[in-house]
Amino acid sequence: MTSSETDIVRVLEADGRFAPSPAAEQYLPLIEAISDAELEQFYRDMVVIRAIDNQATNLQRQGQLALWPPSRGQEAAQVGSARAARAQDTVFPSYREHAVTRIRGVDPIGIIKLMRGISHGGWDPTDPANGNTRLYTLVLGSQVLHATGYAMGLNFGDRTGTGDPERDEAVIVYYGDGASSQGDVHEAMVFAASYQTPTVFFLQNNQWAISVPVSTQTRVPFARRSEGYGIDSIRVDGNDVLASYAVSRVALDEARAGKGPRAIEAETYRLGAHTTSDDPTKYRTSDEEQSWQLRDPIPRMRAFLEGRGAAGSFFEEVDAEAADAAEDLRVRSLALESPPANKIFDHVYSEPHPLMDEQRAWRAQYEASFEQPGAQS
Amino acid sequence: MTLETMPLSKALNAGLRKAMEDDQSVLLMGEDIGKLGGVFRITEHLQRDFGEKRVLDTPLAESGIVGTAIGLAMAGFRPVCEIQFDGFVFPAFDQITSQLAKITNRHEGALSMPIVIRIPYGGHIGAIEHHQESPEAYFTHTPGLRVVAPSTPNDAYWMIQEAIASNDPVIFLEPKSKYWQKGEVEFDRSAAPLHSSRVVRTGTDVTLVGHGAMVTTLLQAAALAEGEGTSCEVVDVRSLSPVDYGPILDSARKTGRVVYAQEAPGFNSLGSEIAATVMERAFYALEAPVLRVSGYDTPFPPAKLEGTFLPDADRILEAVDRSLAY
Amino acid sequence: MSTQNFNLPDVGEGLTEAEIVTWKVAPGDDVAVNDVICEIETAKSLVELPSPYAGVVGDLLVGEGTTVEVGTPIISFVSDAGAAAVTQPPAPAEEPGGSVLVGYGTGAGATSRRTRPAVRPVRSSVGVIAKPPIRKLARDLGVDLSSITPTGADGEVTRDDVVKQASQASVFRNIETPEWGAVREETVAPKTAPAGLARGVAASASHDSDARTESIPVKGVRKVSASAMVQSAYTAPHVTVWKEVDATRTMELVKRLKTSPDYADIKVSPLLIVARAVIWAVRRNPMVNAAWVETDGGAEISVRHYVNLGIAAATPRGLLVPNIKDAQDLNMRELARALNRLTLTAREGKTPPADQQGGTITITNIGVFGMDAGTPIINPGEAGIVAMGTISQKPWVVDGEVRPRYVTTVAGSFDHRVIDGDGMSRFIADVASILEEPALLVD
Repeated sequence: MTSSETDIVRVLEADGRFAPSPAAEQYLPLIEAISDAELEQFYRDMVVIRAIDNQATNLQRQGQLALWPPSRGQEAAQVGSARAARAQDTVFPSYREHAVTRIRGVDPIGIIKLMRGISHGGWDPTDPANGNTRLYTLVLGSQVLHATGYAMGLNFGDRTGTGDPERDEAVIVYYGDGASSQGDVHEAMVFAASYQTPTVFFLQNNQWAISVPVSTQTRVPFARRSEGYGIDSIRVDGNDVLASYAVSRVALDEARAGKGPRAIEAETYRLGAHTTSDDPTKYRTSDEEQSWQLRDPIPRMRAFLEGRGAAGSFFEEVDAEAADAAEDLRVRSLALESPPANKIFDHVYSEPHPLMDEQRAWRAQYEASFEQPGAQS
Repeated sequence: MTLETMPLSKALNAGLRKAMEDDQSVLLMGEDIGKLGGVFRITEHLQRDFGEKRVLDTPLAESGIVGTAIGLAMAGFRPVCEIQFDGFVFPAFDQITSQLAKITNRHEGALSMPIVIRIPYGGHIGAIEHHQESPEAYFTHTPGLRVVAPSTPNDAYWMIQEAIASNDPVIFLEPKSKYWQKGEVEFDRSAAPLHSSRVVRTGTDVTLVGHGAMVTTLLQAAALAEGEGTSCEVVDVRSLSPVDYGPILDSARKTGRVVYAQEAPGFNSLGSEIAATVMERAFYALEAPVLRVSGYDTPFPPAKLEGTFLPDADRILEAVDRSLAY
Repeated sequence: MSTQNFNLPDVGEGLTEAEIVTWKVAPGDDVAVNDVICEIETAKSLVELPSPYAGVVGDLLVGEGTTVEVGTPIISFVSDAGAAAVTQPPAPAEEPGGSVLVGYGTGAGATSRRTRPAVRPVRSSVGVIAKPPIRKLARDLGVDLSSITPTGADGEVTRDDVVKQASQASVFRNIETPEWGAVREETVAPKTAPAGLARGVAASASHDSDARTESIPVKGVRKVSASAMVQSAYTAPHVTVWKEVDATRTMELVKRLKTSPDYADIKVSPLLIVARAVIWAVRRNPMVNAAWVETDGGAEISVRHYVNLGIAAATPRGLLVPNIKDAQDLNMRELARALNRLTLTAREGKTPPADQQGGTITITNIGVFGMDAGTPIINPGEAGIVAMGTISQKPWVVDGEVRPRYVTTVAGSFDHRVIDGDGMSRFIADVASILEEPALLVD
């Protein structure tokens, strides 16, 4: 991979034409080797997660979730990078990576649990079914340090850099333009460079950190900043799923081969609000939103596939699958039960703790002292 | 019984060494802990003997140290972080409180955080700003963390190993003013469980309670009180969270009078918590309210004034007098 | 056909109200899940609400331009009659807080309290200066703190103040408290039993699901004294004899002693005279101060030539019988002091085990309960126990006339293996004779 390039890697134009940018030339062999089935899978992944994402927003508006941060508009960056990761890799998301987590095997109901106030987690990262996907982290940038530490662990444990890409592990960590200002991200890059960890830093620059534009976070492209640490960095059109796939694949394979950390800046756009509590009309124009709508990753990929002769029935099937997935999630979300009240005391510590026992017992006798059992006993 | 007299710093070194020999997943990380052996030489020779993959000289970034330790723990290691001085733990405060303390709970038990964070703390070494803090209360107030403080070389040797063996995150506060204090270390067995408090001097009239470096001062005060005809019992808290209230309450019920002494500023301190609990649980035994002798509620002063700020035997005995006068 | 309401949700993490700006549907419209039904304006933004139900719009319950609180029903739906299964959210459970369906949000706050069984607050000690251990002592002894005149230097009620105020009866009231360790005071477990039951029924006492029956675990001193009683009662054949006697002269003596400077610092009561009487009577009837002893070589009667005089006391720990060692060697004042000490120690629950061992004969004062006489159970290791009854004014014949006199009954139970009927009768008669004429003690 060439370093110090600020040209963006792109192969699909907004209208779906295959038109590689200069920086994309080196990725063409890889991209051209992608099978039709995989291409269709990319499209399917994006459409299904968008339907799920829309449904989740609706659930919030119906009073069923406290909050929902939509991934709308960022599907290509997430699908491409997630499909590029290998099964043995570990993924550290932030809190908007609904497509990434689903592709790795996490049931979206886990995210619903987080947003519905049932759990602070939602799934078990140590369960192989979840594809080594760590929990959502709500403190911005924190996960970037954890990911780097994990990658250091891969080095110390000889789980990477042996020359076998089927076995060698890498770590991909997701964060955004807003989070990139956090000190922890800087420190993570210092550590990653110092220990040459097999980490891919995947920054989704969706242009907005709630209401603050990216120009407040940086005066240079993010890829240039990470270069400053000695980390080979690349900029990609994050709304081009093929380009996103390609740069991620190469970066991860280079990292796992012991060549050191890599950084990817994926240019994309947050088509929705920051979360359901946000009102973008207060800080950005509909013109801007419109211009990015025209670069939407899903119509782009659809046009590309149509240009290659994909049948109309394929797209109908995908739409039906997406609608089913959304409805299924809706029904299952409504069926989720509240946790039992005593769960408060569980798992605060890994080992037995006298204060937990005391407080659990106190609460039991407190509840028992009432004439009627409580709503949450 | 194998006994050896050594300073607390050497006892820690020996305990770390033993922990690393016993478990290959234990690794040490911190600033200057490798070649230099740590600014207090606590980790002396450990990098030489265990290598750079087990004793890491990290970049100068406390949040980075704790954050990467968390990732290392996720990858199966048992990191022991050193924060160089108490006053420098605060950049890591977010990783400690928002992440380290909560990850096990967030994961509903699927993940443990077997991480120890060693912090030299406390005053009495004539140092400059930020090098003599007592930040216990921030950590004891955080659910999900365990906090301990040895007061003797023997406790240091055993408690560091027990903390490393714990699957929970442990903030390990080392009384730096006692690093060079010598004491007997018994190598055969631990004298007490990690999370236990202990009576270190028996008495009948007043119970003196404290932790870390303060225990020595309490013993000095007790000796002086003896000469005046007052018999003081001294309890070393040892585990600041959770607190082992058994011996403390037994003593309170025996004497009816309790004085808690701490270097930390008194407002909202560990002493406040212990006083409230003793009052609640031993109410009918108390002849006097639980009194606290603490640092003043000011920033830690320039070293020339640390003698004024830090509780000494006189301040403790003033509280003893006050307690007896009730 | 069924009707479902949709309540205004909290769409922005803690919002409390919103204005219905525009309705996008009208009554009778067919609506699918997620179809936009209205636009609302909150403190944060303008938001579209998607339908949670499939069905036909029933009524628009809130008009455009109206602001309503989160949780208010805004629209009703009628589910299609005969339609295929339409998924709708389950009827929202009534969540505490009165907020959105999911149960979080700001909520209305409490307007009433969950009911609990009433706990009687202790108010009588407010305003009294007394340390915690003194307060506990007062509670245990049934002393009302506010009735005491404090004698402490700072106006506080002292331990002595409480103990002096405690009536004699309170020493013998059966007060149950938790296990007593070697410590001075024990924290009292929270009490939920109202007055009337033995105080201090521990929270751990199991309760029948039938509230008319209560099971109290037998532990500690009660357990020990119960087994001692059983052993005594079912080993020694008990015979009780009693004598009614005019104790007026005893009462006069007690009154004179109380005012005597020699007894200024000593508490004097009829019990003192009874104690002296028992010791005097033992000298004349040594067999009552004995014990039936089983040895390997056969049974023996062990006659003790010293009197360790036991006084039965119901203490905070339970029924104990501390004894005064070598009571026969004590003069009146010394005996009075010993009785004071014994009583005080018993009241505070501090009777050491040594004081309870080696007794030779016992007095039990049931007069404080208002009883005339009783059939006491002999303390194990002894052969006789004297029951002192109440001393009260009754009609008595004096010099051929009926006059009110202080009358009491002296009763005693004896081990018939050790003492015969005439022996026990002579002993009781001797005790009674002292009560009738205490001057006989002068020798």
